[in-house]
Amino acid sequence: MAVAWIGNREASLEQAVEQAASLLKASRCPVFTLDTDIHGTRAAIALAEQVGGAYDVAGGEVMARETALYTDKGGIFADASETRRRADVIVVVGSLPDYAWPLIAELAETVPDLSPSNIRRFFVIGDVDNLPPNSGTATNLSCGSSGLGATLAALRAKFAKRKTAAPVENFDQFAAALAESRFPVFLFSGKGCDLLEMEMLQGLVSDLNLKSRASALHLPASESGWGSMFASGWMTGFPPRTGFGSGHPEYDRWRFDVARMIEAGEADVHVWVAGRPDAPAPSHAGPSLIALAKTPEAVPGAAVTIAVGTPGIDHDAVVFTYRTGTFRTVDATEPSEAPAAASILRSIAEVITPGVPLPC
Amino acid sequence: MLTRITGGEIIDPANGRAGIGDVWIEDEKIVDPPQSGQADRVFDASGCILMAGAIDIHSHIGGGNVNTARLLLPEQHKAHLPRPDATPLSNAGWSTFQTGCLYAKMGFTTVIEPAMPPGSALHTHLELADIPIIDKGALAILGNDDFLLSMIRDNASSQAIDDYVTWTVASSRALGVKVINAGGSMAFRENVRTFSFDDVVPSYGITSRQIVKTLQASVNRLGIPHPLHVHCNNLGVPGAPDTAAETMSAAEGLPLHLAHLQFYGYAKEGKRDFASAAAQLAHVVNTTPEVTIDVGQVMFGQTVTISSDEMRQFFARVSASPRKSVIYDWDGNGGGIVPYRYRPDYYGAVQWAIGLELFLLIDDPWRVFFTTDHPNGAPFTAYPELFELLMSRDRRAEVIAELPRSAMKHSTLPTLAREYTFEEIAIMTRAAPARLLGFADRGHLGAGALADVAVYRRDASIAKMLGSAALVFKNGDLVVKDGEITHYRWGKALRVNPPVEATMKRRLDEYHQSRYGLSLDWFDFPDSAIHREQPFGEVPCRT
Repeated sequence: MAVAWIGNREASLEQAVEQAASLLKASRCPVFTLDTDIHGTRAAIALAEQVGGAYDVAGGEVMARETALYTDKGGIFADASETRRRADVIVVVGSLPDYAWPLIAELAETVPDLSPSNIRRFFVIGDVDNLPPNSGTATNLSCGSSGLGATLAALRAKFAKRKTAAPVENFDQFAAALAESRFPVFLFSGKGCDLLEMEMLQGLVSDLNLKSRASALHLPASESGWGSMFASGWMTGFPPRTGFGSGHPEYDRWRFDVARMIEAGEADVHVWVAGRPDAPAPSHAGPSLIALAKTPEAVPGAAVTIAVGTPGIDHDAVVFTYRTGTFRTVDATEPSEAPAAASILRSIAEVITPGVPLPC
Repeated sequence: MLTRITGGEIIDPANGRAGIGDVWIEDEKIVDPPQSGQADRVFDASGCILMAGAIDIHSHIGGGNVNTARLLLPEQHKAHLPRPDATPLSNAGWSTFQTGCLYAKMGFTTVIEPAMPPGSALHTHLELADIPIIDKGALAILGNDDFLLSMIRDNASSQAIDDYVTWTVASSRALGVKVINAGGSMAFRENVRTFSFDDVVPSYGITSRQIVKTLQASVNRLGIPHPLHVHCNNLGVPGAPDTAAETMSAAEGLPLHLAHLQFYGYAKEGKRDFASAAAQLAHVVNTTPEVTIDVGQVMFGQTVTISSDEMRQFFARVSASPRKSVIYDWDGNGGGIVPYRYRPDYYGAVQWAIGLELFLLIDDPWRVFFTTDHPNGAPFTAYPELFELLMSRDRRAEVIAELPRSAMKHSTLPTLAREYTFEEIAIMTRAAPARLLGFADRGHLGAGALADVAVYRRDASIAKMLGSAALVFKNGDLVVKDGEITHYRWGKALRVNPPVEATMKRRLDEYHQSRYGLSLDWFDFPDSAIHREQPFGEVPCRT
């Protein structure tokens, strides 16, 4: 079975690696899009440094605003374990990633064991449809059609005993629940909240903590993206949307927005690292595409395609999981010969600078 | 390969060696001079001082909280300048790569991350594995975890406690155990806002003292070389000297290490309720021989405080500079990241003075350790300047002259004439840390030791001399020459590896299944996950 292509023609792995290295060596502005496990991310960032590229994660726009919450403001955050064990009030704020639905169901089926409360009550800010099926009953909090941000702002105002332009539906019920609560947790994601809404939510959590405890569980829109964010942090000091064009890492969420760089014609080579079989391939006409993807055929429009394995399926992997808020290992469920993206990236680097292995 | 470093002044207090001489290296180890007298390569160290590679026992260099600090403060990387640039990613500000390079340039070859949450040990070790050149180690945090507190509440047997501590240390690949504001995070989750050594953790009915004593005894019984590493209650609070003194007196003859004692040196005295209690604390240390401490020196400038003392960090948010912070209500200790600028005002000056007083008033250099609690008191890049302050009273006088007189009135520092000698520096940063951590293979230059050697060219400026080594060898490999990194090599994370008892593992699996809905596998990992050859090295437990 073919594992590499140059254009639409089958090629040996070595030929494809050589061609990818050749494109990167000639590139004036290579960019990388990452949707891979932690070791794939490490190798990609190290290669990006070697060739003076910039990198972002797939779905970078959402993650950029999630990271902006941390770089610009910070906040008070719980993890899923503490939420399960201690939260007696759950407030779902906006829509959450689909992967989090089992957690919601689990929270509905259990009661906190580290809290004197033996019940768990649910509220929703935003659309009730954001709750998964069978997740129990939830009380909706809203300011009519004013939207998420306005409702959060109104809640802050109400708790501060200030007037609001519009009433918050079911506020009294919510206030009574919080008065009894020992540890309410607000669940949110960049998927369902913009930056101002996330900041408003953190303002509300901070206000509540003046006299009692409250926290917020951040469920990142992309688990693999958030894992890449961590690796990027320790490798460069910065989150993704970092570039090495000046010889040292620079973080700029506008300048190194890879999607923007491609659209604006700044990038001339695009390295797309995606191990998931359902990852949507880039469809741009601009830069030469080097696709490291889980694919049985050449990626349409790619200058080079190299088939790689899916982390945790074809090969063992280290991945970020929202469930513990940190990394875990995943054994390959269907071990195969498909190489890990990390090994291909290291091979490309070896061709570019022979005898100087990547540090990752 | 046989290497000879010749003509330097050797300072090796562990072996009682001081004076001009040679050090011989064969491959990775220090050896006695060979009979042939022939070396494959010779380094002339005339005009230089030779010491073993330095060991930092308490520096937050990797893990979730450190990484969150990076995320929170992309604008603060200049705090970690200067940047070497000869090796990949070493010019990435405040990265793991830069951490290894900057430590190595100063002649440090082993650094301990003192606060690893067991549940995210894999993250910590992934970061440590990307720190080049130096060896590392990490202390596992216990003392705010439901499993341990429940066992103490239920009067579990010593054996059961030991089995749990063993599992934690073994599964997290830790070098030892740390307790941080024992019970304080659990109390804070229940909205308790102050918590002292004899306060009771709600829902458990046990005190902080009980938690500390339980862990101290267990670490001692298990033969883990490093004593329980204690971050006391009430960090940074005026009046904390009493808490620290109570904790030290609770050592009761068994070894106990208190971290960053400077942060407990704030007496509630004077019109600002803030004065130095360093003399009082130093007296307690001097008269409690089973206790060791590290200082956590404050230096002026911008930094970020990183701690798993969630309660303390929550209240520190109001003084965040710049005005942003992260507080984690994570399973177990949680923590907080709060940026802070130490200014040379009254309060900053008192803090700065307290650290130096502790260094200078504690008599025994084998029991006081050189730290800034990086980055809490200052980035480790401030070490050269701190060495100079310890070794030169003239330099101290220069700085004191620029500080508020009112602050110095509340400190004994202006009266202290002591100057550290190179031998005392070598004890405090080499021989004593090795002894404290159970390292027989480093911290000295005797035959059989790992060839971790730092060579410093004498200079009128101590900061310049100790901040940029002329030569550094790691495992016999020359990694620094004339203050510049020559190449990367990959060190190990040092750990103890006591055998895990099967019954405890089954019990913990049931516990995790029922409380977290997850199997125990989620909290363990194979060594292969690190993607480095031989990522771990073992330190034996006492038998």
